[in-house]
Amino acid sequence: MTTVFVCEDSLDGILTGVYDAWDSRLGHENVKLKTEEDDTMELFCQYRAVRTDVEKAEKVLRTVRKRMGEKAREAVCYAAACPDERKADAIYRLIVLGLSLKDGSQAVNCLQNPSVLLVEKLRYKAWHEAERMLGFLRFQELAGGILYAYMEPPYAVLPLIAPHFADRLFQENWIIHDRKRKQIAVHKIGSGWFLADAVLLPPGFTGEQTESEAEFQALWKTFCRSIAIAERRNPACQKNLLPLRFRPFMTEFQV
Amino acid sequence: MADGRIAVGAALSEKLRILADAAKYDVACTSSGTARRGNGSGLGNCVAAGICHSFSGDGRCISLLKVLYTNECIYHCKYCVNRADNDIPRASFTPEELCRLTMEFYRRNYIEGLFLSSGVLRNPTYTMELIFETVRRLREDCGFQGYIHVKAIPGAAPDIIERIGYLADRMSINLEFPTAEGLRRLAPNKSRALILTPMRQIQNRSIACREELARYRHAPQFVPAGQSTQMIIGASGETDLQIMSVAQRLYDNFGLKRVFYSAYMQVNEDRALPALPGGPPLLREHRLYQADWLLRFYGFEAGELLSEDRPNFNMVFDPKCDWALRHLELFPVEINRASYQTLLRVPGIGVKSAQRIVKARRLGSLDFADLKKIGVVLKRALYFITCRGRTMYPVKIEEDYITRNLLYVKEKLPPELRGEVTYRQLSLFDDGMPLSAGEQFVLTAGESGAAAGSLWERSSI
Repeated sequence: MTTVFVCEDSLDGILTGVYDAWDSRLGHENVKLKTEEDDTMELFCQYRAVRTDVEKAEKVLRTVRKRMGEKAREAVCYAAACPDERKADAIYRLIVLGLSLKDGSQAVNCLQNPSVLLVEKLRYKAWHEAERMLGFLRFQELAGGILYAYMEPPYAVLPLIAPHFADRLFQENWIIHDRKRKQIAVHKIGSGWFLADAVLLPPGFTGEQTESEAEFQALWKTFCRSIAIAERRNPACQKNLLPLRFRPFMTEFQV
Repeated sequence: MADGRIAVGAALSEKLRILADAAKYDVACTSSGTARRGNGSGLGNCVAAGICHSFSGDGRCISLLKVLYTNECIYHCKYCVNRADNDIPRASFTPEELCRLTMEFYRRNYIEGLFLSSGVLRNPTYTMELIFETVRRLREDCGFQGYIHVKAIPGAAPDIIERIGYLADRMSINLEFPTAEGLRRLAPNKSRALILTPMRQIQNRSIACREELARYRHAPQFVPAGQSTQMIIGASGETDLQIMSVAQRLYDNFGLKRVFYSAYMQVNEDRALPALPGGPPLLREHRLYQADWLLRFYGFEAGELLSEDRPNFNMVFDPKCDWALRHLELFPVEINRASYQTLLRVPGIGVKSAQRIVKARRLGSLDFADLKKIGVVLKRALYFITCRGRTMYPVKIEEDYITRNLLYVKEKLPPELRGEVTYRQLSLFDDGMPLSAGEQFVLTAGESGAAAGSLWERSSI
């Protein structure tokens, strides 16, 4: 009988699941990993809940890094950020394959294997989404000079994009708010960033904009309007490159 | 001209509107080529791949704050909207205004940096001094670490170009037209020599700088993201072969990072300019960009793609497909054995798929189903490849046959590749596929494409 390990939908949750499933000694073909929100139960299965354990997760990630290389580690981290119910099991299979090969770093190249291919596809999707958010995220200046940005991405990209902004806006106080997951990334002038629950928005956070904010938003809209060439109008191309779902969060598309 | 001039104290937004509008015909808006981490005190960093921050209504990327310093100009380039005798509103930024705009836009993550070009005020050197002052202020006073692209004006003193080069990430000088004759006719104030001299200067300086960098880790960088240029397409009656040959020479001899092609846009009425009733030649521009990619990433040369008796690209097929159809003697290639360079030349296989194929086949041989998953465009590739010695289904390696099929790809994509299930109704009168299953040819890898081709011909009833 198959045993399904139900883990939390986060990188740590999935990696703990990998650890527990392996540790259960039921045999790789008898176990399956699933993330929590998938509520369609299967027949003839045993369900086992996985309690997320950061230590176990770190152990797994360290092993992946050591035995399968940096590329595999990155693939696992990015794939775990996707909203896809198959991801947990695919990650498990990738790790099983990687640790069985003599040269574990070859596992990510083995695209004939459906799980490896899936992880690779998910990795690309999450990477692409993160890459887009690096450009499409919009900050506004709040009272006190804090830069505040919000988004509702289908992928859990916040931890993937925050390091980029921590480097770029090192001398700024900023907050990026993932409204969908109710998470925030907070950065203080001249130091590192950290993830927090959105209810922990810093004290004194009112959401009030500074006076010059409206001026720069208007200037930016002016710029975006006049940079387009009317004779080359091509909304289909624009929509391909900048899908509509991003636009409610972007200054130049807000009325 | 003076009557259209905007007063010095005009609203910033009005200036921005005019000067962004005047800069929109410059194509380059790339922010790639430099990787620079934040320095801990200033603002910004650079990502090697570049970042697109938005896309305008014409589908082009907005990555940089692309503006002119001024749209006042003493030149009379016939095609240019800013030429001296055009009656349009004129405006100029000040260095402070540009710095403030760049910094504030950058903080809000609107842009990757600044793209600064200009009309010619008084003379080229004077204008470049103004640009230099802006860029210097931005880098030194504001501590800006983001991307800066500066357009050099032909005829400016070498000294000022060099000084700007140490502050900018990318510089570009527009070639304007692929032929010297076109340039003479349509841009009377510019000449080929005036354009190529600073281009050569930038090239030499950055080579020297790279050597210094190898020796001293903290040597200052000169135009680290390289230089680019831009040509107008369809205004001076040039052929695609001329354009591609020029591009090839620029890549080979001048070490350019990018050559941009800009479909000619009719903004001025002039006897010397062609009328374009059908709008700008956008498809032609598209084909040129496709060919440009073939030059840079696929190992093609201009002379392979076009020739004196076929000087223009086929508008129906992309340049690579067109090339493959004229070189059927080289096909089919065996996916599991062909070299990376050979794979790159197969229509329907791009850089990414070729890399994936090369990696994946080390761990086991590949079949058509694998190729589909890897991302190969089988509807184009299937006429040119074999997997384990077999073509996907019986095809003729024959120009007319492939051409006909490529033009109607939708109907011809075999059903087993559309879905996962591989059942197909047997038909006695299937005229599209003259071979029965038993007659399917197994092409051994050793057989040359030409021999295979003749076999197929025999089988076409």
